[in-house]
Amino acid sequence: MQEQEYTYTTAIERLEEILQKVESGTEEIDNLYKLLKEADELIKFCRTRLYEVDEEVKSLLDSINEPQA
Amino acid sequence: MMTENENNTLTLTALNRLVRDAIEEQLPMRYWVTGELSEVRSTSVGHCYIELVERNEATGELTAKARGTIWSRVYSLLRPYFMEQTGRDFGVGLKVLLQVKINFHELYGYSLDVCDIEPAYTLGDMARQRMLIIKRLTDEGVIELNKELPFPLLPKRVAVISSATAAGYGDFCDQLNNNIYGFRFGVKLFQSPMQGAKVEEGIIAALNKIAYEIDKWDVVVIIRGGGATSDLSCFDTYDLANNCAQFPLPIITGIGHQRDDTLLDMVAHTRVKTPTAAAELLIHTMLQQAERLAMLQQSIPETVKRRITDERTRISSMLQKLPLSVALMMQRQRHRLDIWEQRLQASSPERILAKGYTLTLCDGQVVRSASQLSVGKEIVTRFADGMAESKITEIEKKK
Repeated sequence: MQEQEYTYTTAIERLEEILQKVESGTEEIDNLYKLLKEADELIKFCRTRLYEVDEEVKSLLDSINEPQA
Repeated sequence: MMTENENNTLTLTALNRLVRDAIEEQLPMRYWVTGELSEVRSTSVGHCYIELVERNEATGELTAKARGTIWSRVYSLLRPYFMEQTGRDFGVGLKVLLQVKINFHELYGYSLDVCDIEPAYTLGDMARQRMLIIKRLTDEGVIELNKELPFPLLPKRVAVISSATAAGYGDFCDQLNNNIYGFRFGVKLFQSPMQGAKVEEGIIAALNKIAYEIDKWDVVVIIRGGGATSDLSCFDTYDLANNCAQFPLPIITGIGHQRDDTLLDMVAHTRVKTPTAAAELLIHTMLQQAERLAMLQQSIPETVKRRITDERTRISSMLQKLPLSVALMMQRQRHRLDIWEQRLQASSPERILAKGYTLTLCDGQVVRSASQLSVGKEIVTRFADGMAESKITEIEKKK
């Protein structure tokens, strides 16, 4: 899965999946680093979606003062 | 007939007075009458002129009609009482139960003087109308549609339907923009009247505008500031409920009332009481995600760490066990070597020679049989401490 394909919802779902994998203890030790790295990236992505003003919202905020049609 | 008795001729006034007298004599009481208000017009001095009609239930055609008057001293009490009881302004389209006195005026004709009203009748009719709409929406399978939409995890892009002048919209924006968690929302107002007859049309038009750019929005919020006693019947129409129920984005309503839910509230995805509560709902949804993310951010590395610690423990316990098992293995090997050494020593030629046995060689070969020899051959005899050479003089074989 590529990061740019993620939405907040699918990213959160993937994070839950990763948590489940590492909690189950069945995941290969060799994979843990990879999973941890992926989780880190996903969390950053979700955080951005949650707190940052993305372009869409920014353009909305800008258009608030525009006269109504 | 007329020519027979000219004195029986009446003026119109006199005739009308007869009608009036007959009515006053025959219908002197006050009567309770049901009907639909087809016209309501109040004057500057506070009187109210109405028109009451009755329709054929099936065809809707008028079957009866009467003018009526509510004098200001009655209307000034009746109107607020009716409003308080029914939540609706006394107006056109309502089914009412009125106590009337029949009046006939020589010039103005037949009319009814309204003395009293029974709001319970109107309430009953409103409830019946509501039930019919609910049943229709249910039969059409649309009543739950908006509720069935998944609520967005991050409702950041908010299309608001309200009136710009309403205090509710300001409250909503303040609450949303000043949230202590630092969430940023994009809000745009789609204007619509929020009271009166234009509400249905206005909200549907706003919904259509939002639908036109549906990808830009996560959620729709319909809000209106307080006014607990105002007329909410405008939120109870079939078309409005139908449009909202089928809208492809979840709708939150906060139209500021304490009474029973309107039909709009009933079909909306989520219903809250006030605009402020609608903003809180959005903030709370974001907060839930923030908490969920924080939980994941903490527990994934923690779980991985625990897993690695477990593995380390396993390795170190293996390391502890290893020297012991190596020592054991070495000891076993040493023991085996000792046995081999003993066996080897036991079978070495030196030991045999030392016991007094000798080794005979002929032409460099070990001699094992007398038949290997012949008379005149030289042989070498090896002892533990040296050797001797001899010549064969005679051979005697065992029989």
